[in-house]
Amino acid sequence: MAARPATPASPKNFKVKAPQPGQPQYGCEHVQRLFNQDQATTNTSIQHYKMILRSIFDTTPLIPQTAKPMDSAAVTILTPTYLCLQCPSTLTEEDRAKHGHKKAHRFYVDSRSGGVYCQMCDDIVWDPTFEELRLRKIGTGTFSTNRKRKNEDELFAADPSKESLQYISTNTSIASCKANGLRGIYNAGATCYQNVVLQSFLHNPVLRNFYLSDGHQSSNCEIPHCLSCAMDDMFQDFYALENTNGYTAANILSGFWISDKKAFENLVTTKEQDAHEFFQFLAEELHERNGDGKKPETGSEHSCNCIIHQTFYGKLQSTTTCQHCGGVTNQVQSFLDLSLPLENLTQKRGKKNSGAAKGPAHMTLTECLDEEYIKSDKCEYRCHNCNSMQQARRQTAIKRLPNVLSIQLKRFEFKQGRNERAAKIDTPVHFPLQLNMLPYTNRARGGDVKDNYELARSCTYDLLSVVVHVGEIDTGHYVSYCRVGDQWFQFNDHKVELAQKSDVLGAKAYLLFYIIRSLT
Amino acid sequence: MSSETGETGKAGIIVAPEDANSVDKLAHSVLDDLLYNIVHDLLIKVHRDEKMARAATAAIKVEKLASDASESSTPDAKPDVRIETDAAIYEEGKVLLKGNPLKTTKEILCPRCHLPRLLHPTDGKGAKKQDLSIIYCKKHPYIEKPGYDIYGQTWVAPGPGRGKKKKDMEKKLDPDASPAPGEGGAKDRPPNVLSFPSATCSKCKRCILVTRLNNHMGSCIGNSGRNASRAAAQKISNGGSNGGSQNNDNTPPGSQKGTPLPASRAASPRKRDGDEFDEDGDDSDPNNPKRKKPKPNVLTKKVILKSKGQSQGPSNKKEKVKANSMLSMEQRVDDEDSKNSTVQVAPKKSTPKGTSPTKKLKLGLNSKPPLPSPASTKKGSKRERDQESESSGTLSSPPQ
Repeated sequence: MAARPATPASPKNFKVKAPQPGQPQYGCEHVQRLFNQDQATTNTSIQHYKMILRSIFDTTPLIPQTAKPMDSAAVTILTPTYLCLQCPSTLTEEDRAKHGHKKAHRFYVDSRSGGVYCQMCDDIVWDPTFEELRLRKIGTGTFSTNRKRKNEDELFAADPSKESLQYISTNTSIASCKANGLRGIYNAGATCYQNVVLQSFLHNPVLRNFYLSDGHQSSNCEIPHCLSCAMDDMFQDFYALENTNGYTAANILSGFWISDKKAFENLVTTKEQDAHEFFQFLAEELHERNGDGKKPETGSEHSCNCIIHQTFYGKLQSTTTCQHCGGVTNQVQSFLDLSLPLENLTQKRGKKNSGAAKGPAHMTLTECLDEEYIKSDKCEYRCHNCNSMQQARRQTAIKRLPNVLSIQLKRFEFKQGRNERAAKIDTPVHFPLQLNMLPYTNRARGGDVKDNYELARSCTYDLLSVVVHVGEIDTGHYVSYCRVGDQWFQFNDHKVELAQKSDVLGAKAYLLFYIIRSLT
Repeated sequence: MSSETGETGKAGIIVAPEDANSVDKLAHSVLDDLLYNIVHDLLIKVHRDEKMARAATAAIKVEKLASDASESSTPDAKPDVRIETDAAIYEEGKVLLKGNPLKTTKEILCPRCHLPRLLHPTDGKGAKKQDLSIIYCKKHPYIEKPGYDIYGQTWVAPGPGRGKKKKDMEKKLDPDASPAPGEGGAKDRPPNVLSFPSATCSKCKRCILVTRLNNHMGSCIGNSGRNASRAAAQKISNGGSNGGSQNNDNTPPGSQKGTPLPASRAASPRKRDGDEFDEDGDDSDPNNPKRKKPKPNVLTKKVILKSKGQSQGPSNKKEKVKANSMLSMEQRVDDEDSKNSTVQVAPKKSTPKGTSPTKKLKLGLNSKPPLPSPASTKKGSKRERDQESESSGTLSSPPQ
């Protein structure tokens, strides 16, 4: 197919992935034969496979979905097509056999997944060499192993996997197959708001890798009642022990009680509390224990290399345009999470009074994000050029996306008036399993990024965990859902149960955690 | 979209009615195609997981045979042998597949421990009986059963009114009384029914039932900042008394300080010694300083025991339950079962002896019937019951 991007001929010889213990070297006998013919065949096969993957994942789907049967006109179908690995043909499933008979081409790439179909096995084969390329394409979008997300470099600079395997195996103990991090946490008396946040931390791969690779060694830490040590102990307990009963987060709790965080003094009561406040508390506390020790001032462009900043912090840029002289002011601030107001008829607050609050039966997360990070609003501001107060347009966009995006849906609105009680907004907000954040970044403002599939992929997030509040504003219960691999679990204090995607998506979320896809 | 070759799309499930117009038909066939794609994607995912697991199994098996055959004691060296099984060939350190692993290989070995994976849950939805003669990998399929968690565990309901301990104590004093209804009767409790553990307060080193821990810390630690209790008090008065429904604490945290219990709890040393001596057999081990390292064996054992527990009946469950309340310091390996199901929070320093909130109750009871040794209780069902109801009672009555 002519539409496929031509690759410059590479002089490099491609190698088949080195044999791994516990894994066959090839996907099937036939792939084995293909790779053992000669170097030229191996080179062209791998090169061609990369090209096909690019055409599947980096271009408009129109190209790989258009099959050209040998005897008739091109046809574009919705269902999978098969791209021949040995020549530039794209075939429908029906024509695949014919093509094979005629040309003796035996390998085809499924246009939906990028998996390799072997005609002789009459089955998809998962060859380690091909599979590595495919996963890298889906993950980071590049075939090279060198390029990583910026943050990752710092984060895993001391990654022990770069050291010899021998060293690792002699210095570590293998955790039992039963230790999988799936345990409940006992409710120590109205502490479910802590449990849900702790569970979402425990099942956050970035934090898990940090703690399990001795990111914060509690044995070397001098600080009494250090919360990060308590986290370290908790990670160890969840991922190294075989216990299946609940966990008692006593050290977290006492660290929390002992902590002198003034900003969160309200939290330190035996009453039910806000999970979001606890999330902020924990994040700041862990930042102080692991980071540069500076207090993250809200609103400032504070950045630090601590695990919390590398996990959760992103940057927002708000652009204010003076309506009088057209002068533009940019302001950048870092954020720990995105707080999205849920407007409805009864809960109009602050500056936002847009007409969207017609009180629909439900809203979507993207609607809320659109409202905050695409639409602009009017405000008064003091323009330097005009040297006077002027009407201005202000627009906020995300300048840097975090690795783990936490979103708070403001279900608890506090009215301004003193006598007004706070109220909970129960409107369901639909949220996706997969979230594209590209439209909310300031890169999207630039040029036409609609067809930039690579950029879109680097802004794609997968849902990681959901915190749900059930009940009224002043009393209720928190539960959370977390994803481990492809399986969802519901955590209700000490109880862990399997959950369906529909349970998760049907929940009235309060906090959402999305993880960047290229990390997973 | 020119996929109108047939009556509908590829899945052939969503078919437009005969008299539908062409747009209708197109819509149906598009929807049908999309349905096909969903199924296709799902299938590819499952296929990948399953086929790769089976291929790895074939590889593990043949590698095992090769290393057995080579007789070389160095495990890392690649044995220079050629081994062939039905599913794979081992040659020059490489594993080559023979045929489709989905056909040649029936079981799945864990890539880490090389033991076979149990493929069906043992209980609940989709459960099948497991072959007890096979040692499976410890990673079991998760159980989906209402009222139980993914490991098939369930908990003793804290029950309403568990906070009021007076009634309980009366009950406990009468060994023949039927177990408190809220408890469901410790005696009848199968081994997968866990009760709530206790934990040690990091400040006062007292052992507190986990459900009371937050309140305890509020008074024990939190009162250093008066603001906390003030804020709480204020909240109570502001927010209406119906505020906290879950934590039945209408007492401001500070007031707990005044309760005499802690003092009375610390029974006289002599008494306690005696007590400890008696309980010798079933001490739990809160003294396990860093859970993460030293005791994995113990823990491992326990888990196995638990899973086998079904068949072993109530004997080991009793110990488990008991241990919750016991706090003597000796470490006994033969009672692993109790250890971690109960005392979760290991104090970093060894705690002062026996500050158990349960002590008081315990003494009261133990003084009545002659103290049975743990070994004998296993047999005598009556005594066993005594012990259990006692321990479960102490467990569920918070120290207030």
